[in-house]
Parts: sequence; C-alpha cells; structure tokens
Amino acid sequence: MQLSKTMAYARAEEMMFGTCLYPVTTRRGMCLGGGEVIPEIVVHPRAGSEKSLKTLLREFERGYNDALERCVSIGHPHVCLEIEHVAQMTQKTEWGEDVAAQTVSLMDRYEERYGIVSGCRFTIADLRKPDMVHMRDSDRSQRVLEAIAACARHADMVAIESIGGKEIFDHAIIRNDVTGLLFAQAVLGGRDMQWLWPQIVAIAERHNCLPSGDTSCAHANTAMFMAGGYHGREIPHTLAAISRAISVSNTLVAYECGATGPGKNCAYENPIIKAITGVPVSCEGKSSACAHSDFCGNAIAAVCDLWSNEAVEYHSMFGGTTAAVFTEMLGYDTALMNTAINLGYEKELQACMVNSDRYRDPQSYILCPDIAWEIGKVVVEHHQSLYSRARAAALKCGELIFGDDKLQLTTYEHDALRHYMADLEKLPADEGNFIDLCLERYARIHGFRRESYGL
Amino acid sequence: MKYLEDNSLIFSRYDLFREQKEERTHRFSHDALLQEVAEHVIHGDDEKIITIVDQALEYKRPEEVIREGLIPGMDEVSRLWGEGIYFLPQVVLSADAMLEGITRCEEKMGRPMEKKGKVITHTAEGDIHDIGQLIVNALLRAAGYEVINLGVDVPVDLVVRSCQQHRPILLGGTALMTTTMTAFPRIAARLKHLNLQIPFVCGGGAVNEDFTAGFDLGIWGKEASWAVGIAEDALQGMTWSQIREKWNG
Amino acid sequence: MPGYMGFVESLTACNVGGEMDEIGVAVDIGTSGIRAQAVDLTSGAVLSTSISLAHPLPGANVVDHLHFALEAGVTVATRMLRTAVNRVVEGLKVPVIAIRRLAVCGNTVQLSLLQGIEVRDLAYTGARKLATLGVVKPDRRGVSIQAGILQGLELNETCQVLIPPAVCHTIGADALAMVLQSGILQEQQTALITDYGTNAEMALYHNGRIITASAAAGPAIEGQQISCGMLAAPGAVTDLQLMRNLQYRLLVLDEQMQVVQGPVVDLERASLVSSNNAQVKGITGTGVVAALCEGIQAGLIELPCIQTPDACLHLGRKLSLTEEDLQEAGKAFGAIRAGHVTLCHEAGIGYGDIHVVYMAGAAGTYVDPVKAMFMGWVPAYTKKIVQVGNTSLKMARHLVMDPAQLDVMQRLADRIRPDHYVLAASDTFKKMYMLELAYWTEGMPMTSYRTMLTRYGVKAFPETVSAPEILQAGAIGDLGNPGVQELSVVSDPGEILLLSIEGCTACSGCVDACPQSALELSFKENRPVVQLYHSRCAGVSCKRCEHVCPEKVMVLSDFFMIR
Repeated sequence: MQLSKTMAYARAEEMMFGTCLYPVTTRRGMCLGGGEVIPEIVVHPRAGSEKSLKTLLREFERGYNDALERCVSIGHPHVCLEIEHVAQMTQKTEWGEDVAAQTVSLMDRYEERYGIVSGCRFTIADLRKPDMVHMRDSDRSQRVLEAIAACARHADMVAIESIGGKEIFDHAIIRNDVTGLLFAQAVLGGRDMQWLWPQIVAIAERHNCLPSGDTSCAHANTAMFMAGGYHGREIPHTLAAISRAISVSNTLVAYECGATGPGKNCAYENPIIKAITGVPVSCEGKSSACAHSDFCGNAIAAVCDLWSNEAVEYHSMFGGTTAAVFTEMLGYDTALMNTAINLGYEKELQACMVNSDRYRDPQSYILCPDIAWEIGKVVVEHHQSLYSRARAAALKCGELIFGDDKLQLTTYEHDALRHYMADLEKLPADEGNFIDLCLERYARIHGFRRESYGL
Repeated sequence: MKYLEDNSLIFSRYDLFREQKEERTHRFSHDALLQEVAEHVIHGDDEKIITIVDQALEYKRPEEVIREGLIPGMDEVSRLWGEGIYFLPQVVLSADAMLEGITRCEEKMGRPMEKKGKVITHTAEGDIHDIGQLIVNALLRAAGYEVINLGVDVPVDLVVRSCQQHRPILLGGTALMTTTMTAFPRIAARLKHLNLQIPFVCGGGAVNEDFTAGFDLGIWGKEASWAVGIAEDALQGMTWSQIREKWNG
Repeated sequence: MPGYMGFVESLTACNVGGEMDEIGVAVDIGTSGIRAQAVDLTSGAVLSTSISLAHPLPGANVVDHLHFALEAGVTVATRMLRTAVNRVVEGLKVPVIAIRRLAVCGNTVQLSLLQGIEVRDLAYTGARKLATLGVVKPDRRGVSIQAGILQGLELNETCQVLIPPAVCHTIGADALAMVLQSGILQEQQTALITDYGTNAEMALYHNGRIITASAAAGPAIEGQQISCGMLAAPGAVTDLQLMRNLQYRLLVLDEQMQVVQGPVVDLERASLVSSNNAQVKGITGTGVVAALCEGIQAGLIELPCIQTPDACLHLGRKLSLTEEDLQEAGKAFGAIRAGHVTLCHEAGIGYGDIHVVYMAGAAGTYVDPVKAMFMGWVPAYTKKIVQVGNTSLKMARHLVMDPAQLDVMQRLADRIRPDHYVLAASDTFKKMYMLELAYWTEGMPMTSYRTMLTRYGVKAFPETVSAPEILQAGAIGDLGNPGVQELSVVSDPGEILLLSIEGCTACSGCVDACPQSALELSFKENRPVVQLYHSRCAGVSCKRCEHVCPEKVMVLSDFFMIR
C-alpha cells in the first residue's frame, strides 16, 4: 500500500476553517469543506434505552428530532447528525439499520417541511476486542463489516473508531513506554486499518455512501484523558502529545485506503491529517466539554470543516434537551466562523483561536496549524513505513515542543519529554528490526496475538 | 500570524505555579548547608546529619542551624505526613535525625534549646512493650516538646516522683498487658493525692476507653498519633477533664 | 538422667486388675477450653473424647487468666482449673480407678496454674517489677508426680501425672509439642512454624538452629476484639466462597462444629442474597482473614479504608466488619509478619528464604492457607505450606503412651532456651512492627514498605510471590480419631457465683452492659442477687459492669473471692 509522500497543503497559512482542498458532497447535496463550517451534533442514548430496539429507536428519534427542531427554530442553515453505535446496534445489524432508516426519514421530513438540508454520519462500534478475538478472522469482524453495509444503504457517511493495537497500548501507556506506543499505534493499529479500510471503502462505494474516516480515539484520546488537566499526573502531558503525533501514522491509513473525509470529530490529530491529505475534517474542542476536557477548546477549530460536540447524553436541561442545547451552541459557533469567512476576517478569527490556546499545553501547541503542518511534513518525508513516519512524527513533536521558548514546561514535563526523546533516538530506523524487537518484548502481553495483525 | 507576547490574561498556567510553589516549599534556607541539613531531616538520615550539622556549625550559630535547618526540615516532614505522602516509620526516622542534630547544637550552645513544654512518658511497671511509647516520644520531640523518657517497667513510685520533680504538662503511659495496666489508676490516685492535676494519657494494647474512664486524670490515647494534639491542648491549659471530653467518648 | 525420671514408674508395678484395661488420659488445656482423650495404654487406641466449650477462668486470653489469678489468688485459680479438668475427664466416661496416667500439655500459664506454682513471673515481663515483688522464677522443668500431690484433682492418689517443661513464659509445652509433633525438625530446608493465636509462638528452623519467639498478636487472630467476632463455636463464619461478582457464600460451623454452607451475601450490602437454615452468629479469626482477603481482592478495601458506601464489609443482615475491625485485624496480622521477618533477620536470612511453613493452632489449621498467605500470615514466597492441626493434644497422647517423651521435651527445651528471642526487646521487631502499623492503619504502600526495609538494613523481599504446594497434615480435625464413644461436651466448666450486693438497686445496668452475657439478676427474699458465670466473663480487662453501675457498688473482683 502506498504511504503518503507529499503534503496536500504547500504551506500552513493556506489552511483555513470551512475550506479544504477536496470537499465532498452528501446525498442531499450538502457540501462539506466547500467554504462553510457545518455543525455536527452527536447525541448519545441514555443507559438502559438499549434494552430493546423499540426504546432505542424512540431515544434516537427524540434526540435528533430535538436537534433538527432547534436548528429550524433559530435558523441554522445546515446540520450534520452523527450517530455513534452502541454495541447492540453493531451486534444486531437490523437494529443499526433501523436507526439509520429512521434518522434518514426524520431528515427527509424536516427538509420537506422547512427546507433544512442535513447530513448524517454513522459510526460503527468496533466490536473486535484484540484481547478476546482474532481481529481479522472472527464473528465480530464479520459483524462489523455487515453493520457498515447495513448503515451505508441509508447514511451519507460511514465511519469507525478502530481499536487495533489497544491491548499493547494499554500496557504501554501506564508504563510510560513510548516504544510500546509506537508499536501499538503505528505498527499494529496501522496494519489493522490497512486490512479494515479497503473493505469499508468498497462497501461504502457500493452503496453510494461516503467512507468518511477514522480516529485514534482508542489510543491518543486515552492518553489525553489520562494526562488530565494541569494538576493531573497520571501520565505526563508530553507523552499524550507524543501519542497524538504518532496517531497520524495510523489515522492517515484510512485516507490512503480511499476514505474521503470528513475526518472523525474526535480525531484531534485532524489538523495534521488535513495538512497532508486536504480532505475535510470534523473537530471538537470547547464544544465537547460535555464528554471530556482538552486544552485546545478554541485552537482546534482553526482548520475545521465540521464542528462537533463528541457526544452528549440525552437529558433535559433548563434550555431544552441536551440535543437541542448543544445543537444551538454548535450552530452559533459555526455562524461566527462563517461570518468571519464572509466578512473576510477568517485569518483574524483563526489567529484569535490559535492564540487562545497555543501555549496552554504541549498538547494544544502541536495542533496549531503551523505546528501541525510541520509534523505532517516529516510524516510524508518518512514514508518508508508506518513505523518510520510515526517515529519521525514523535521526534519532530518533541523537537518542536522544546524549540519554542514561549511554550513553558514544568520540570516534570521537561524531564519526561527528554526521556522519551532519548528512547526514541535509540530505536532502530528500519521497521523490520523494530518489529522483531517489539515481538520479543511484547509477545507475552495478555491478549496480544500477532496473527491478528498479519505479523 | 500574530502572536501575543503575554498570555497571562488569556490563561493561567497553574501547573507551573504549582511546581514553582513546590520548589519554594522545598527551599528551606538560602544557605546551601542549612538546606542540606533540612533535607537530611526529611530523608531521616541520622548518620550523615551529624557531619552536615558539624559543618554548618563551623560558621553558623547553633540557634540558626536549629531554626533554619532542623525545624523547617521537620515541619516539612509533618506536612508530608499530613498529606499522606509520608507514613509513621518515616516520621520516626526523621524525628530521630532531627534529635541527633539538636543534641549536637545543644552541646555547642552549652544549654538545652527552649522547648514548648515537658511531657513524661513511661511503659507500665512490669511491662516492656514500648513500641507505642517510642512513637509518641518521637512525635512529641519532633513537635518541639521536651520528653522525659522514663523507659520501660517503671515503678509507680518513680513515675509519681518524676511528676513531682518535673511538673510536666502531660503524663503518658503505655501497657500491653492487662496485668500491668493496673499501675495507671494507682499512679493517678497518687498524683491526685499530691494535688498534681496532670492529664494522664494511657495507651497500649490492653488499655481501652472504659478503663481510663474509671479513674480521674485518665485519658484514653487510642492512637500514638494523637500525642501531639493532646499535648497542644494541655499546653493551652485545658484540664484533664476537658481533654478527656474532647478526645474520648 | 534428669531427676524427675526417678518418678517414672513401671506400668506393670501398679496393675489395677479387673476387666478394664489400663487407661491413660491425655489433656490439652488451651486458652479457650480444655480437651481430653482417654487412651487404651496397651493398644494406644483412643477410647473417648471430651471437650469444654470454654475456659473456667474469666478472661479471653492468658493475660486475663493471670490477671484473675493475681486478683483472686493463685490457689483459687488453680482449684477452678483442676475442677474444670475433673469435669472434662468425667465426660470421658471411663472409671477413675482405671486411669493410671494423665499427661497434660498446654501453654506455660495453664500448666503453671494447674500445677499451682508461681505465676507472677508470667504476669509481668519487667525485671524491675519482679525484683521488687521478690519473685523467684520457678525452673518449670518437666515433672512426673503423683496425682495426690495435686489436691483437688479427682484421680487415684497414685495416678501418674506428667507435666511437661516450658522454655519461658511464652514458649511452653504447647510450643515444644508443635516443634516435635509437626515434623518440622525433619525438614532439610529452612522451615518456619507458627501457632496462630493471641500469642503467636513461632520457631524458625534453619541450618540446625531452632530460633523461637512469640509475637503478641492480640486476640483478633481468634476473632476477638472484632465487633462481631467470636471464637470458633457453632454459628461462627469461618470462610467465604466467591460465587459471582461481590457475592459470597458464607461457610459456618454447625452444632457439631462441622463446616457447612451458609447464606450467600453481598459484601457491599446489609442483606442476604439467598439464605438457608444455617445459623450465623459471628465471625471467627479465619473468617476475618477470608473476608478481608476477598474484600481486598474485590477492590472493596484500599488500606486502611473500606470503600463501600457505609465503610463496612457486610456478611448478611447483621454481621459486618468495620474499618476499626480491619485495623485491629491488621495490627494482629502485622505482629505476626513482623515477628517472622525479625526471626529471619536474626538468623541472617531473608524473609523470602523460608522454604516451608507449618501452620499450627486452630486458626492455623482451619484457615484457607492461600488467603492466609495473601494476608501476610505466611511469607508469600513459601514453596510449601503444611497445616498441622493442634499438636498439643497429640503431644499429650504421645506422653501418656510413652513417658520417656518427657525427657525428649526437656532436651528440646534446653536446646531452644539459649536461642529464644524476645521480640518485645528487639529493635528490629519494633521497627518492623511500626512498618506493619503504617501498612495496615495508615495505608503505607508496599513500595514505601520495601524502601523502609532497606533503610532498616533488613533483607529485601523477593519481587514475585509463589504458589505453594499445600499439605493438610491435620486434615481429619485436630482431635484425631475421637474414639468409639460420642464426643462429650462440657458447655460450662466454670463456676457460677451468686452475690447479694449491698446497695444494689436492681437497675440491671451491669447485666445489660456485659458483652459476654455473663451476669444474671434475680431476687432472693426480695433482695437483688447478681450471678456471675466465670467462664463467660471477659475478666478484669473488661469491667464494663463496674463502670456502668450508678451506685458504684458493683465490684467484679468480689465475685472472684470464692470460699
């Protein structure tokens, strides 16, 4: 498989929210990345509603009806509905398909009644737990592909949060083991996606649906979550930053296999992905505080094409249900960005976004467009292997963090990062040698089986 | 792109603030040797501390070594203990190290340093189980009290005579065996007879609240770690019955 | 040849005649009761077994018993103990005339009280106090005497009574029995034996050296000083079996002292998941080990806290373990581990170098060894665990069959004495115990614990724990074969004393306050009379009855001044 060798964007300055090099269009003619930022709302069913198909359908219907209703009551021109599968919807193909069909008819109803054009994305649950099943050859792998097909029949876009390498990642992250992160994310996660994504692309194309994208949620977001806020010390924030840089190597695989974008909302690595591929990306920051905390609440919006909220559980609030409230907030955020674009102030707004968070934390720093582009650049330069581009990204990430005096580090973070850099330097240049080293080191980790990754 | 020179109005780096604060709290003296004295107390190094204290005493007054080295070190240990970072055995090691240092300084001064108040401790007549007493002694000394340690198997007579002689703010006794704890009410009765209203904290495996409630002056010391708190109360002038009411029942 | 051997009489010289064969009686006097077995001296077969469910003297441990003896007088204590022995021997249902020999075994306190010799040296450990009192330590060598000398023992005057030797106040004949009967001296590699009790006697056998010590673990080991704790008796929870997530089946002792399945409980809730007929009254030491072990493994205990909503581990509707219980148990378990580590340090080896561990005493025999190991009763690095049962009664049986065993015991006592280690005076023990206190009551993490070991100059613990081989040498129960007759049970071997107290208003405050239900109030000629069951009374260390008396007329020791 060809790994990316060139940057889609020649310069970081060319990257802007609302616009990408390769926009895509949904079934209903909504253009993503074509000059406008579109809100992408995700509503999560309450626990217990997955007990039966009937209760689940009702829950989704309420949630997305509230979202669309709020759009038309305050005037959001476009909205994208994302539905993330609860496990049952992937396990039972018909459940997933019924929810998809219901959502689409809801969208049709609103379009007919109010003229609002919306789109929908279905994200299938990756049921393949690496420590339990063979990633490629198991009932669960089949189930995942069937669920994608079932949804693709109705949806505008399908996506997945693939979890290859998770067993080694979990082992490595709590041990501060950057070698393990490289192996888990780039070598295993990347290989898993190289197996999975050509199939997703084929299925989606068959149904005239967009094979949108993937995310390193299982890895880099776990690291981000563990790193926590300023007082969190479960793992150093610099390790979370490195994990993010590494994640580019595997998330990129989806697009190399034919994924068209928009990139998944929770892929915080999307600014780097956009710099390399030019596809539209969905992002989330302050708007996803309902699900998790991050350091780039504004900065992550700098190059987004869709603006999302990660996931909010369906509940009542003073101002309506969470579905309605978050749709309203996302819509006003995008209205502000679209206003800037149309007034010609987009550069200024982008500068505000970036300045807001650039020096909060190493994790926000590396996602600012200029830094993201730099990391992307070494990724394409080291296109020999999944591993070599991930290692290069990690090294570059560390170098950039150390290289900007304005980005202050605590001694603790500084020492930690120096330690990771030393570890990274010592690793072999060649992927084959690296895999040999890792197989020896991680072969006995609980749940790891090399056959799952074709090794 | 334009970048702000100063981000302080945009966000606050509490992580840097905290680390700097920790660094400041880890700095006890601007003098390198006194800083080292404090660090040796924190690490509970009772051998090396002598060498360092001796070096410091070559150009610092013993009062300064105590005030700027030994005591801040011990204060830090108390803080670490309070925050659940240090545990009792580490506190005892540190207290021992601090005492070694103080003894050295006192030799140099030619007189004992001024203490908060006197406390007498003993293990009951007939009993030799003194772990509780050792912990109490270390904690009280670390908190700045003068501890008169009568040791183990101490006759009632000797305890009473020592109280008469030293007039402590507090008397402590420990007993593991029920056969030996009977000495405590006898001591209390003798003290009352002499009109010495000294709060008498009794602890150890055999002693319980019902037992100490059975005689005047008696206070149940459930945990060795209570010692400093009770001593502070006694120092503030609380009577034995006020202390009993606060700590027992 | 030791002098006492002169007393050993030839069996043939005192033939009883008649149809009954010559009978010997083996007696074990424990802190919580007396057990006796009648043995056919010709065949060695056990004819019958009789036990008491309590000790006749007030109190729950040897120090309480001593305390009683000091207050009431040694002669009173001795008489009460001999009376209790009579009643248990009576339960053997063999004619007294046929009993040719009686051998006892037990700890130093019990045997000294039975023999009626000096005990003040056992009550006080401080040399200064003993010197003031003018106490002369008796030598406590093994003796063979005629029953006639032991006034009050209902035996033939000429019946031979064998009282084995003691090394010191904590290492008595029971500890010698443990070393001799367990088989530990046949071990080729380093071995450790411990009697898990209030005073945990322990012996380390290393390179031909036997180093002994005793750790004052406290009564929590046997289930006392635990809020819902009890000694092993019908209704006591002895173990827990994991059913499914956080649900456990209780194993309890039935009326026959057999372990039966009890209700299923949820450790987080004060309710039953499912119940059955088994009666549950309290939890015994082995049950505490099991409950805490399961609590830790289920993540419900994060030392020193219990992480359930009400900070209790529940064992059904009424029973629960509190954080105080956890700490009490921890202090007891910690004393044992501190003792073990200290013995190893004294022998110049590491705690991880112990190859085989013998577990003795009731708690040591009935506890699940894997759980006990997890809770620190046994080094986690041991390769083999042997549960040996109560060796004291077994030793008494051997003695009664073969009086020459008295000499064997004496030689062992003489060998052990110079290598006995007083933990209370050991700096290493004090440090180790402090470390255990921090571990159990402050939640000091094991990493800090290990660092402190290094600071103390104690050899490091190994990194990995082992899965030991487990042998049950005492598998058929510590009574061995109980004999053809039904087991006799003397439920109350103690005395009951009635007192009419001057000034008593019959408020019944003392009766209600007594944790052991040892007091009863009645009226005699319209005057209140208080009745005390000695064997139930927790002794002078309790005295709750005195504290609650509003008239201050209740004086517990008045009830001890018998005849």
